[in-house]
Amino acid sequence: MGRRRPHTTTGRTLRSGDELAVRRIRWTLAIFAVLVVASTVKLVEIQVVDAADLAAVGERQRARTLALPASRGRIYDRDGDVLATSVQAATIYADPRAYRGTRTPEGREVPPAGEAGAVAERLAPLLDTDPAAVRDRLEQDRHFVYLARQVDHDLGERIRALELPGVGVLTEPKRVYPAGPLAGQVVGFTDIDAHGLQGLEASYDHVLSGQPGTLLLERAPGGLDIASGIRELEPPVAGTDVVLTLDRDIQHVAEVAAADAMERFAAIGASIVVTEVASGDVLAMASAPGFDPNERGDEDPADRRNRAVTDIFEPGSTQKALTIAAALEEGVVDTTSTLEVDDAIRVGGSTFTDSSSHNPQAWSVSQIMERSSNVGTIQIAQQLGDERLEGYLREFGYGQPTDLGFPGESGGLLMPHSEWWATSLPTIAIGHGVAVSLVQLAHSYGTLANDGVALPPRLVRGTVGEDGRLAPVPAGDPQRVVASTTAAAVRGMLEEAVHGEHGTGALAQVEGFQVAGKTGTARKPLADGRGYSDRYIATFAGMAPADDPEVVVAVMIDEPYPYYGGLAAAPVFTEVMEAALLALRVAPDDSGADLPTAVRLAAAQAERLAEDTDAPEDADASGDDDSTDAPAEDADEPGGGSDDPP
Amino acid sequence: MSAITAPLRRSRPPQQAPSSAHLRVVDEPVVRHTLAYAVVMVVLLAAAVFGAVALNALAAGAAVEARALESHVAVAERDYARLVAEVAALEDPARVRSAARELGMVAPGPVRHLVLERSLPSDGDVPSARTPEATTDPLKPLLSLER
Repeated sequence: MGRRRPHTTTGRTLRSGDELAVRRIRWTLAIFAVLVVASTVKLVEIQVVDAADLAAVGERQRARTLALPASRGRIYDRDGDVLATSVQAATIYADPRAYRGTRTPEGREVPPAGEAGAVAERLAPLLDTDPAAVRDRLEQDRHFVYLARQVDHDLGERIRALELPGVGVLTEPKRVYPAGPLAGQVVGFTDIDAHGLQGLEASYDHVLSGQPGTLLLERAPGGLDIASGIRELEPPVAGTDVVLTLDRDIQHVAEVAAADAMERFAAIGASIVVTEVASGDVLAMASAPGFDPNERGDEDPADRRNRAVTDIFEPGSTQKALTIAAALEEGVVDTTSTLEVDDAIRVGGSTFTDSSSHNPQAWSVSQIMERSSNVGTIQIAQQLGDERLEGYLREFGYGQPTDLGFPGESGGLLMPHSEWWATSLPTIAIGHGVAVSLVQLAHSYGTLANDGVALPPRLVRGTVGEDGRLAPVPAGDPQRVVASTTAAAVRGMLEEAVHGEHGTGALAQVEGFQVAGKTGTARKPLADGRGYSDRYIATFAGMAPADDPEVVVAVMIDEPYPYYGGLAAAPVFTEVMEAALLALRVAPDDSGADLPTAVRLAAAQAERLAEDTDAPEDADASGDDDSTDAPAEDADEPGGGSDDPP
Repeated sequence: MSAITAPLRRSRPPQQAPSSAHLRVVDEPVVRHTLAYAVVMVVLLAAAVFGAVALNALAAGAAVEARALESHVAVAERDYARLVAEVAALEDPARVRSAARELGMVAPGPVRHLVLERSLPSDGDVPSARTPEATTDPLKPLLSLER
């Protein structure tokens, strides 16, 4: 139906107005159409063509992926006392671009946010450093420089409050060792980024470090999280705690004793190992000189070595207990056997002597042990033979690392008997020509203490996961080396070596207990391996109480003077064994003291201690020469009396 | 200007056949409450916008609160770790011994154990006979004076 035009007298005017309006509407529509088309084109460009790129740009601007470091596990001693833990520390950094004018990509000048010198002047006193050094770092041509890492958290907060231009503060974990040097060589340390470098920190790094997590979130320019934005959390898995077998108190006593021995005997080093007989647990593993893992930058790297595990030495006469145990077990000799022992014996073209000359004597095996007779022991070893001697020594743990799993552990040296020389059998029988670590020596004596059953030594008791429960480390398989009767017989002989009239270990006696142990003195081999030097290793290994041992202590002193094991190592043994028995609450053998006697003894001792405390300090220094208390005869002749050790 | 009636959106079926072609019966025009409809829509829209803004504000507030709580947790964890380290340092045997020596204490001597003559009451075997000293010193009957 066609549109009618109004038939009015003003129809021409109206027609013109309508046409104008229509024209305007059409133009308007056209403009809107162009705008709509343009908007549509732009919309398609944004939403379709460039959608992915623009989404990525937006995500880069909003999204933040935060690394969530896993907290490193703690290291505890057997009673749950902390030996290593992590605390939050502050790290101070700077952006050196803030101190020099820059130009934006658009060419706009950006003035410096601050003056490097002024910032350095304010920071240096807080960081306890030279302002020039701080300024040098602030003026480096880099985007990020560390000014100080892992400083005290409160210091970081103070620096943050200063709002210095270009200076920022980060929080990061710092590994600390609250007890300082206590068990430093055993626990080890981490680098600044909490990666284990030495000791158990290194060997258990995979357990302690955990798994870091990430947090992906969206943040507004002001730094506030966008509540409705994405938030993807992959939580970190905390590191597992490690519980050691060490007893902190015994460890402390052992470290003090080792350090004192070094000083008292002018030695270059000392090591002490304490083990629990029933479990094989290492209760203490001390080495002197020690070091503080918190201050390792100032320490001699050699002091970080766990000598008890990494260093090997010739055990000397302490070896005789194993030789005789093997002979008893094989029935070569028994406890009633007597041997005609001269003071020298010639084997393979070499002459081996006892430490003091004597006429030929009919000595029992126990007397041979008590007097530490080289000749008598060699005679027994000759009956035993090289193959059986080597076999027993290997069963006692020689020539192979223990199951400690400690980094750098040495397995010692024990040549196969097929490669032995003519002098090897007598030499090895008395503890030369063979080398062991101190933990190996303690392990072998632990076997004798444990009725002939070898329990692999253990340094880690277990791990504690998120459930808070202790997951014990599986103990190694016990292995019988000698019969219990053989072990008991050897212990009886070792008891005579300490308490007997001619025993070489008289200074190893512990009041209230019967001790079984053996001294050892050995020359140190020359660096080129040809012959021996005139420097010595003094050792003592023993157990208490002798009838039912609970603790084994092994002591090694490197180049002491006097160098006899009975003079240098035995007193140290006494000091450590006393503390270990006390800490483990082992009842003394003479526990039947009546009350009046106990009170009288306690009063006398209190008086004595009081007098010692009141005495001038220099009195101790003058009376510190244990050589005056030396046994009349120490049979531990250095070098085992060998004229020509191999 | 011409008035144009709104077209019928729905038609009803014819009730009766128209008697004539130019006349027909029509329904009462539907009253369209356009204004009320618009108001309702505006209110709904406003409510939706307000609700969305309010929810976002609540979420933002919760995020701020969560962030504050996380900060508190972090501070508490940091303090706990620091205190653990401090306690361990204070319990260090070297420090304890040093402090004890400063207080005039000395290391203990050899330990002596006293053997009980009779069982303790907690063992279920209460001593039946007590010496006269028991009234003055309750420990004496339990400790051996003879050994």
